[in-house]
Amino acid sequence: MLKTRKARAWAIQIGFLAIVAFLLISSTLVARDTLHAQGMNSGFGFLDRSTGWDVGFSLIEFSPFDTYGKVIVVGLLNTIFLGIIGIVLANVVGLTIAVFRTSENGALNAIGTLYIEIFRNVPIILQAFFWYAILTHLPRPKDAYNLGEVAFVSARGVYLPGLNVTGSSALIFFIALVLGIFFYIWFTSARRFRSLTPSAKKNGKLTIVGLVLVIAVAALVMGRIPETNLFSIPTLKGLNIREGIRIPPEMSALAVSMAVYGGAYLAEIIRAGFLSVGKGQAEAAEALGLSPWYVFTRVRLPLAFRAILPTLTNQYVWLFKATTLGIAIGFTDFFSVISVSINQSGQTLELIAILMVGFLVMNNTISFVLNRVNKAIKLKGTQLRT
Amino acid sequence: MSEVAIQIRGMNKFYGTFHALKEINLTVQKGDRIVICGPSGSGKSTMIRCVNRLEEHQAGVIEVLGTELNDEVGNIDVIRRDVGMVFQHFNLFPHLTVLDNCTLSPMLSRKVSQAEAEKTAMMYLERVKIPEQAEKFPGELSGGQQQRVAIARALCMKPEILLFDEPTSALDPEMISEVLEVMVELAQDGMTMLCVTHEMGFARQVADRVIFMDKGEIVEEGPPEDFFNSPKEERTRTFLQQILSH
Ligand SMILES: Nc1ncnc2c1ncn2[C@@H]1O[C@H](COP(=O)(O)OP(=O)(O)OP(=O)(O)O)[C@@H](O)[C@H]1O
Ligand SMILES: [Mg+2]
Repeated sequence: MLKTRKARAWAIQIGFLAIVAFLLISSTLVARDTLHAQGMNSGFGFLDRSTGWDVGFSLIEFSPFDTYGKVIVVGLLNTIFLGIIGIVLANVVGLTIAVFRTSENGALNAIGTLYIEIFRNVPIILQAFFWYAILTHLPRPKDAYNLGEVAFVSARGVYLPGLNVTGSSALIFFIALVLGIFFYIWFTSARRFRSLTPSAKKNGKLTIVGLVLVIAVAALVMGRIPETNLFSIPTLKGLNIREGIRIPPEMSALAVSMAVYGGAYLAEIIRAGFLSVGKGQAEAAEALGLSPWYVFTRVRLPLAFRAILPTLTNQYVWLFKATTLGIAIGFTDFFSVISVSINQSGQTLELIAILMVGFLVMNNTISFVLNRVNKAIKLKGTQLRT
Repeated sequence: MSEVAIQIRGMNKFYGTFHALKEINLTVQKGDRIVICGPSGSGKSTMIRCVNRLEEHQAGVIEVLGTELNDEVGNIDVIRRDVGMVFQHFNLFPHLTVLDNCTLSPMLSRKVSQAEAEKTAMMYLERVKIPEQAEKFPGELSGGQQQRVAIARALCMKPEILLFDEPTSALDPEMISEVLEVMVELAQDGMTMLCVTHEMGFARQVADRVIFMDKGEIVEEGPPEDFFNSPKEERTRTFLQQILSH
């Protein structure tokens, strides 16, 4: 019966799932009985209770009257926000250092090597403390560095101009923007849309842009805070800075640490990618008269990116988990919100389960999306020689 | 009527202390078809790679279509746009379709519109007899097909001069003829060509001049009849015996 390879593979998977399900169900039942015997409530009912405590930084409105369910969402959003910023910055740093390291310029080369040797070899938690210490020793708000009257840098945080809208509507705005960019790139580069007529392509692009604009503007209009200006520009009033968006030093310290430490690792991976690109392809591009910029952006970078994307995916997942350092310096990320909730509510098992599922879902989303991208862009055919 | 395409005077090239090219003098008129041969390591690749500055020469003068190859970036850009090159290992861009390989540089460095570039690309793909492969990726083509794409890609820049560096030596015998056929047609259309190749049949059929190099020097040059039937230099005779004996 299990003669074909496919049938065997299926049988193994089904058997495996059955064992996992059995273990899960039986251990849940045992745990519930034990807890019950000790007079503790199990279950997720506590998610509807209010917390009674506040959080340091939240992207959406939050008060102590809000529920545990909501505080977990706040932590999740903070983690995603920090993760995205940290990973994007780490890429910028990594790419720059990789370009330095592969350049023929001796000085740039030395800077790149020095950077990697320093920042790769200091544990990220120490770097987080280091940057946190630096950022909290900046001048107090009344003496803050004033960046052209629209942004301030101080020990209480970085103040950026923003909009007077509710946090949720800003969130929708950004999600719409990110999805819009994603779909635009997909639409303009995916093979399946290549055969469309030029006018159909144009209509498609306009539809995407239009849809995003409508959603984004609608989100902002609905989330307007009444009786305020649309733009919220930070200004110095007395001893403090009012208005604007405050990025707390905890968050900046973590983002900088992720960028600096993760960047050092990414740089080495990206460098390996550049080295793996055949010299012949770059030479052919030069011989065709392409400028160094185009040789880099159209040939070397895309080929290097393809070579390293699976490894990069790994690093992104790893770097994303570094957001949990929030607990070390007091940033309300997912992990630290869960840990405070455990202390306050005593629902350890449930909260740990939420934590694990949360990270599983987030990290699997990263790898799922990047694996799909990898599959879509991987070099086709078997007859390549380099 | 004849105009100078490439002029090389007293050119020397070093790799570190290694003297790779010694006092090279060569004049190529527009429409000339020149075949360069010589033993491995004699500097054939290095010489033609100096013509589009993939290698830098250290002494002497190289002028291409009246522009001198020196450190001026502008000059190098101008020359590279007018000088196409076909490599031994094809060097196609594996992440782009055949069509995109052909339109990339025309669109980016000649600022041709996409529609225009695609039209030109299809025309040249037809000329190298693989228009039906336009939407495929290089890795999905045979070696001979890839090399023909590489020729089409070079032609899409509408170059005045084409350099070939052993275009058939990475190919299986049955694919060699399909590439040579395209090259013969190009020659008949009057393209200025500099070919490093050991295909002596091709040299006899289309070359105006054959150049023999050894140890970084041009040892002998002349029309194919003279070159093959009555070589003047001992080194040339030895070389010809070797390659013609198998
Ligand atoms: N990048 C380099 N660094 C140092 N020496 C080099 C380099 N490239 C080529 N050479 C040397 O220069 C000489 C000429 O090389 P070239 O590649 O031009 O030979 P060739 O005539 O094309 O040989 P083949 O027929 O094997 O392709 C050789 O001795 C080679 O070792
Ligand atoms: Mg060679």
